[in-house]
This record gives sequence, C-alpha cells and structure tokens, in this order.
Amino acid sequence: MDLSLRRGLLFFCLWLLVACAPLPRNPSADNLAHMRTLSGVVAGQNVLAGELYMPGDVRVPVGSTLRLRPGTIVYVQPAEGTKIDPEYLSSATELLVRGTLRIEGTARRPVRFIPLSIPEEGEPAWAGITLYDSVGSRIEHAHIEHAETAILTIGSSPEIRGNQLRYNRYGIIAQRASSPLIADNVVEKGEGGIFCWLGSSPQLVGNRVADHVEEGIFVDVSSRPLLQGNQVTGNDLGLVLYDRKLAGDLSGVIGNREDLRLLNLDRGERP
Amino acid sequence: MSRLVLLALLLCCWPVAESRADTDYRGEQSLWQDAVWSGRVLVDGILTIPAGVTLEIRPGTEVRFTRRDTNGDGIGENEMFIQGVLKVLGTAEQPVRFTSAEADPIPGDWGAINMMVTEEANLLEHCLVEYGYRGFHAHFASASLKNSVFTRNLRGLQFQESTVVMDGCLVENNFNGMQFRNSEVRLSATRVLDNHWGIRCVYSELTMRDCQVTGNLVNGVNLRDSNLDAETLLVAGNRKGIYLQRSHGILQKSRIRDNSEHGILLEDSDVVVVGNLIVGNGRAGVRWQNSLGRLRDNLLAGNGEYALVNEGEGTVDARSNWWGTTEATALATAIRDGDDIAGRGLVDAGQPLTVPPSPPSATLQ
Repeated sequence: MDLSLRRGLLFFCLWLLVACAPLPRNPSADNLAHMRTLSGVVAGQNVLAGELYMPGDVRVPVGSTLRLRPGTIVYVQPAEGTKIDPEYLSSATELLVRGTLRIEGTARRPVRFIPLSIPEEGEPAWAGITLYDSVGSRIEHAHIEHAETAILTIGSSPEIRGNQLRYNRYGIIAQRASSPLIADNVVEKGEGGIFCWLGSSPQLVGNRVADHVEEGIFVDVSSRPLLQGNQVTGNDLGLVLYDRKLAGDLSGVIGNREDLRLLNLDRGERP
Repeated sequence: MSRLVLLALLLCCWPVAESRADTDYRGEQSLWQDAVWSGRVLVDGILTIPAGVTLEIRPGTEVRFTRRDTNGDGIGENEMFIQGVLKVLGTAEQPVRFTSAEADPIPGDWGAINMMVTEEANLLEHCLVEYGYRGFHAHFASASLKNSVFTRNLRGLQFQESTVVMDGCLVENNFNGMQFRNSEVRLSATRVLDNHWGIRCVYSELTMRDCQVTGNLVNGVNLRDSNLDAETLLVAGNRKGIYLQRSHGILQKSRIRDNSEHGILLEDSDVVVVGNLIVGNGRAGVRWQNSLGRLRDNLLAGNGEYALVNEGEGTVDARSNWWGTTEATALATAIRDGDDIAGRGLVDAGQPLTVPPSPPSATLQ
C-alpha cells in the first residue's frame, strides 16, 4: 500500500472516530443540579473543564480570564422575559467578556455550547458570546448553535479559529474597531453568516460560509475587512459590499443565488 | 437687644438646612428636613430623601459618590434614594454635576439618582450625570429633565411605571442609553448618541419630537409591546435604526439614514410610516415582518440590498413612495417579496411618485 493511500486511510479512520463520537444529550434536572455552575460575575483567573451549567448571564470583568479546556460542555439555560441589566446587552442569556476568554477546544475535543431548549419558529435560544473591549481572547474549536450571534466582537480583536457555528441568527459580527482574525471556521445555516459593521476590519481567511437564508458575508460602508480564500456558497446573497476592491479573489464565492452584490452610495434623492 | 432676639428666633425657626461646601454624608443617612445644597457634597453611603422632604440643589453644585462594592460584582452601590422631592436647579453657566469621587472613575462607580415612589414632580435642569450604574432611575415617579447630560454611565436612564419628560437632553456614550418599562415618556430636542442600546422600552408610550438618535451599536430605537408617536427625528449610523416589535404608532417627517443593518424593522406591529427620508441603510431601508399599517410619501431610495423587504404573508401597502426610479424592473429589484420567495406576501408599490418628495426638515443634521 503506498504512502498516500495509507495516509488517506488514516485520515478517514480519524474522521470516522470524530464523526461517530456520541453527541451529548441534554442532562436531567438532577444532573444539572450537580454540575459546576457558570453564572454571574466570573472574576479572577478561572480554568474550567467538564460539564458546566450556565443558568443565566455570565460576565468576565476587565482583568479577569476564563479558560475552557478541551471537551468542555456548557449547557445554556435560555432566559425568560425581556429584562436586561444595565451591564449586559441582551435580554437572552449571554456570555459577556470584558476581560479575556480562551476557548481551548481541539478538532477532536471541541468545546460545546448547548442550549437546554430550542424555541420554536427559529428564534434564538440564547444571545451567544460577546467580546467587549476584550484583550487577548481566543476562541478555538467551539461548537455554538441557536444563538442570536454566535460570536460578537466590539472593540476586540480575538483569534476565532476552527469553530463550527450553526443555526445561529448571525454567525459572527465584528463591530466598532474590531480586527479579529476569523480563520478556518464553518459558519452555516443561519439568517446570515459574517457581518462587518460600524468600522471593523477583520481578517476572514479560509472560512466556509454556507447555506444562509440571507447573506453569507456582509460588509458595511465603514468597514475594511481582508477577505482571503473563503468558500461562500449556498447563501441567498454570497458576498455583499460597497467597495469591489475589498472582495479580492472571488473564486470561492460560488453557488449562491447571487454571488456578489455590490451596493452603491447613490441616495436616489433626485429623479 | 430686640434685634438679637429676632435673629436668634429666625435662626431657630429656619426650616431649611443649607449646606454650602464640602458636606459629607457617610454610611446610611436620611435627610429629615428640607435641604438646600450648594458647593461640594460627598455621598459615601446611601442617602435617603424621605417622603415629605424636598432637596434643592443650587447651580454649580458638585455631588460626588465614592465607590463601594460589597458583593464584588464590579458595580458601586452608593447612591441617592429619593422618596420626597428633588429639585436640581443648574444653569447653563453653572450646571450641577453628579459624578464619581474616584481618582480614576469608571462607569458604574456609584448607583443612581434613584427616584422611588416620589410624591410629586421632580425637576432636573442643567445637570451632568456621569459614572453611575443607572445615572437616573425612576420607579413609580414623575420627573422633568431639561438640558441635562447623561454620559459614561452603564445605563444613562431607566424608568419603570413612571412619567418622564425630557427636553434638550443629551444621552451620550453610556454602555446603554435609556430603557423603560410601563412608562409614559416624552422626548423633545433630545439626542441619544453612541451608546449600545440607544432607546429601549417595553409596555410604554413614547413620544419623540426633533430628536437625534445616532451611532448606537445595537439599536437606535427599540419598542416592544409599546406605542410610538415620532416626528422629525434623525436616526442615523446605528446598527438598526428603528425596531418595533408588537408595537403601534406613527413615524413621520424623519430622516432614517445610513444605519448599517435596517433603517426600520417592524415585527408583528401596526405602524404608519409617512413622509420620511429612508436612505443609505445597509441591508434594507424597511424590513416588514407580519405587520400592518402603510408606507406613504416616503423617499425610499439608495438603500443597500433592498428598499423594502416583506417577510410576512400579507400584502404591504407601500403606494405612493419615491423609489429612486419608476422603471418597473428597477423597482422590482428594490423590493423583495412574494414575487421573489414563495409563501411571502406581495408589496403594493402602486402609484409610485415620479419626483422625490421634499425631504423632511434638516435642522437636526
């Protein structure tokens, strides 16, 4: 058997192992009661692993770090009601990081965020992860589903690599002076994939952005991302932007209802 | 001698305690009689103004709050708790300042100007409120806020079950701007700038005139189960401009422009949108989801992906608007509805205007 065939078989076996690994099921109330709780203000240097229960909002304050080790599972309790405390941004359950977040999943042992219930009619179950003026954050090999925004960066420039973000309303949003490195992620099956808004300049490299009801990648007039080697396919609009020069190589933007939508600044205020 | 007796009597009977300079309140304290503040006042604890007591604060006064965080949640707890009456009488030349006493202040250093079940109308005029958790907080209260600035708070203002009138105020650069529930709020000539949430309310009546809501990173104006009566607004440069959920109202003669996501987003609402300029919004000028009402005489052109998206099953009445074109194919491109996606309702864009309507007043630009 030649080397390339052996290597192929090895990769296939590894893939089979990962693909066939049992997905975690929702735990019982009794199990949840015995889990470590992730809730409220998580101050200091915290390294967590195993199964965690997130019954409500979590805030990592400035100067604090939260690390989630490979294989960690976070069971997220969706919030009821419309209340937002002043220090949070959403009425849904959210993980708001003003310090540092390190999600240290691996391809074989991802970190999973699992909502304990999924609302009907496609409403998000939780808000997702927000990095706000966060320094030194890294999110690797996380699986995030059914969030309003899986990962939202505001004034933050984390590394977001190798994640699987599915069934979220928005996959990733970079806003206000954010320059995250967004690489090798799979962002699929939401309303929209990756959004660059309000003066952001992320690097989008080697991502697969697929099967969204609306946009794959959207760049507003004030944002200047770097787009390189992304596969954008199966979306309603593949790539939407104002400045054609930002689109770069479009060879991976294929199979969308409309691959490229160039917007213009003509206000149409005159006939 | 009789003069001295009279003076002594006057001093004894003087009903108001006046504090002129460097007055400190430490721990939990109450004002037991009417008081007038001027100069510098330090609140190093929780100061209660009980029912029946009026606190008047004179021009130029600086009220400072120390930071006390007993539960380690990063939020200061010292504040003013008002059940009586508060009258803050700053002037343009000598505003009254509510601020942190810390050397390196941060939002949330202190609690709030906390109005709780106050017995009559409160007044704050020419104030600066900064570094609070909720800068101004009213619960079962009524208040008039004039020409005041709320900035660098975690939330600029919050009301529940209250009636609040704001005129000429600035709510700028707070983590969240203002939020209220079960309240009646009237805003005029007020600017809400560069917060995350600009204005958010539930179960409320909101009237807005000549207001500016710009640069907010989440939503400019968001109502849920509420009523909006809005005229001559400038809503620009937010992520979403105006977002109504299960709400009613009218929006007219306003400029809704250059918001990154949607200019106007309606969900399960009933709204009349008349005579507005809706341009330059990123994803769509108007996104209409299972809502009633109508769009009429608007300038709806130059928006990003679409001028109007109908996400519901019913028809949207969007007759008599200016779309930047009267050419049928171009008009169809600007509208996304049941002609594009099976199961969605149509948009009736009949009788399109052939010239753009006069834009609303530009006084806020």
